[in-house]
Amino acid sequence: MLINSIQFILFIIILLLIYKIMPKKYKWTVLLIASYIFYFLNSSKLIAFILVSTISIYFVAIKMQKIDEKAKIQAKNIEDKEEKKKLKNKAKKKKKIVLAVGIIFNLAILVFLKYSGFIAGSLNTILHINLPIFKFILPLGISYYTLQAISYIVDVYRGKVEADKNIARVALFVAYFPQLVQGPIGRYDELANQLYNPHEITFKNLTYGSELMLWGYFKKMVIADRVAMYVNGVFADYANYSGPIIIMAIIGYTLQIYAEFSGGIDIVRGASQMFGIELVENFKRPFYSKSVDEFWRRWNITLGTWLKDYVFYPVSLSKVTLKLTNFSRKIFKTSYFAKIVPISLPLLCVWLGNGFWHGSGLKYIVYGLYYYAIMMLGKIFEPVGKKIISLLKINVEAWSYKLWQMLRTCGFVCIGMLIFRAENLNAAIQMFKSIFNVHNLERIFNGEAFLIGGMTIADIVVLIIATVIFIGISIAKEHGKNIRESFAKQNLAFRWVILYGLIFAIIVFGAYGQGYNPQSFIYGQF
Amino acid sequence: MDELLKILNNVKPGVDFEHEENIMEDEIIDSFDIVTLVSMINDEFDIEITPADLVPENFKSAKTIYNMIERLQNEV
Repeated sequence: MLINSIQFILFIIILLLIYKIMPKKYKWTVLLIASYIFYFLNSSKLIAFILVSTISIYFVAIKMQKIDEKAKIQAKNIEDKEEKKKLKNKAKKKKKIVLAVGIIFNLAILVFLKYSGFIAGSLNTILHINLPIFKFILPLGISYYTLQAISYIVDVYRGKVEADKNIARVALFVAYFPQLVQGPIGRYDELANQLYNPHEITFKNLTYGSELMLWGYFKKMVIADRVAMYVNGVFADYANYSGPIIIMAIIGYTLQIYAEFSGGIDIVRGASQMFGIELVENFKRPFYSKSVDEFWRRWNITLGTWLKDYVFYPVSLSKVTLKLTNFSRKIFKTSYFAKIVPISLPLLCVWLGNGFWHGSGLKYIVYGLYYYAIMMLGKIFEPVGKKIISLLKINVEAWSYKLWQMLRTCGFVCIGMLIFRAENLNAAIQMFKSIFNVHNLERIFNGEAFLIGGMTIADIVVLIIATVIFIGISIAKEHGKNIRESFAKQNLAFRWVILYGLIFAIIVFGAYGQGYNPQSFIYGQF
Repeated sequence: MDELLKILNNVKPGVDFEHEENIMEDEIIDSFDIVTLVSMINDEFDIEITPADLVPENFKSAKTIYNMIERLQNEV
């Protein structure tokens, strides 16, 4: 059941009715049962994997809490400070082992299902052996719920949250259906209470939620699915294209993935809002970013913060990195490099993790390393950049300079998208090279260059108008405008015209697959 | 407190840390600086800052960082 299908909308409507009539005490169980039905409809028997993950983190969290409680009781009877410290450290070590088992177990499932084919293939190539290569169908949202499950047990270990004694509540946190498809990756302290507390179905939440869903459908079906025709046409036959056509396809893909991913998030956030449950934002107008670093703080935000909290900080504070920090302070004293060297290791782990999370294959590793290289080079040359700016007396506050920074970031991101979308690494390199090898320029002048992949002039007109609306809304939001609140203040007639217009646009101008089938989501395959 | 201010100024020169109220959330000190900062604080105050301590509440101002240091020193 795709979230851009009629079935999903019917599913939400029925669920809203049941949630409304259910007594307060049982409202959260409606969400749990619905989430498991949703999961079963999408992944049938593979539901066993999410169940196993849930059971594992439930017991891991309970075990860690018990270790803590036992240590606290024992500490009460000890007077000596040193003895107390010893006891605490012993308990900490035990908890660490339990946590490690929980993390390894959950990661092992993910690695086995998602990466075993890639690992076996790579070993076969490198070692000239003949390991069997399995390709498994992935359970829905495994890359999302695994990260969410790990965050829960780590947060319990860190004492940020208490272990939940009710396994059904843990199950709902892991499997809450709107966030299963493509995130956002929720945190227990932000999401759990919202899920378990009963909410009234209010007119405001229904209106705001459905408006957000409509906006998401518009982005997905009118923009992303339409530009996808062009993008697919060029990427499938890239050897026949060059120069501006390749550039248009790369920019087109960047637009496609942004409209689709952020649209999908709008749909699930809107659906969740109707139940009174606010999912965190996953995008904050990323193409306003003035650096790649900022881009990743605005794009797929929950993945970025997850990697920061559960990879970057632990690796940064690990003994190896702290030793590296001390070493680099001794060598470089107070110079800039004393700060750069220690971050090289945690940052490498973050970007390798980011690359692997996106998929199994060499190109995903390169995708991660590409951003790692940009970040590291950016940091290394930061003082040089500042010197040049001061020497040339560049006004960094001028809008033209900020525009240059945004365009430069867009350029870097587009190259990243090329690596991500290309069939393989070789295809990405060939396509990048062919940007500079311009031939068949007449295709641009006779319009052929725009009509690839079944695109018609009408498609191009619709795409341009829809993209202009998309950009206009983004600009308004970037300038602090709350679109839905401002929309709610408008007269009823105007609101209906706009809403009907949106529905009409989605039905008439939405790009559909064969037989009007909804198209799947790129980020829904993780 | 003076030692802490010295460390902060060492990590990020030119910032008036005595009066800054939102060091982490305003990204006056970013996650890159944190690594150096934590290593220096650990050495100077003989404590062990863990990832659990790296939350904005502990890194709002020099005072909140100092409170965290005192808490970790007194923790048994």
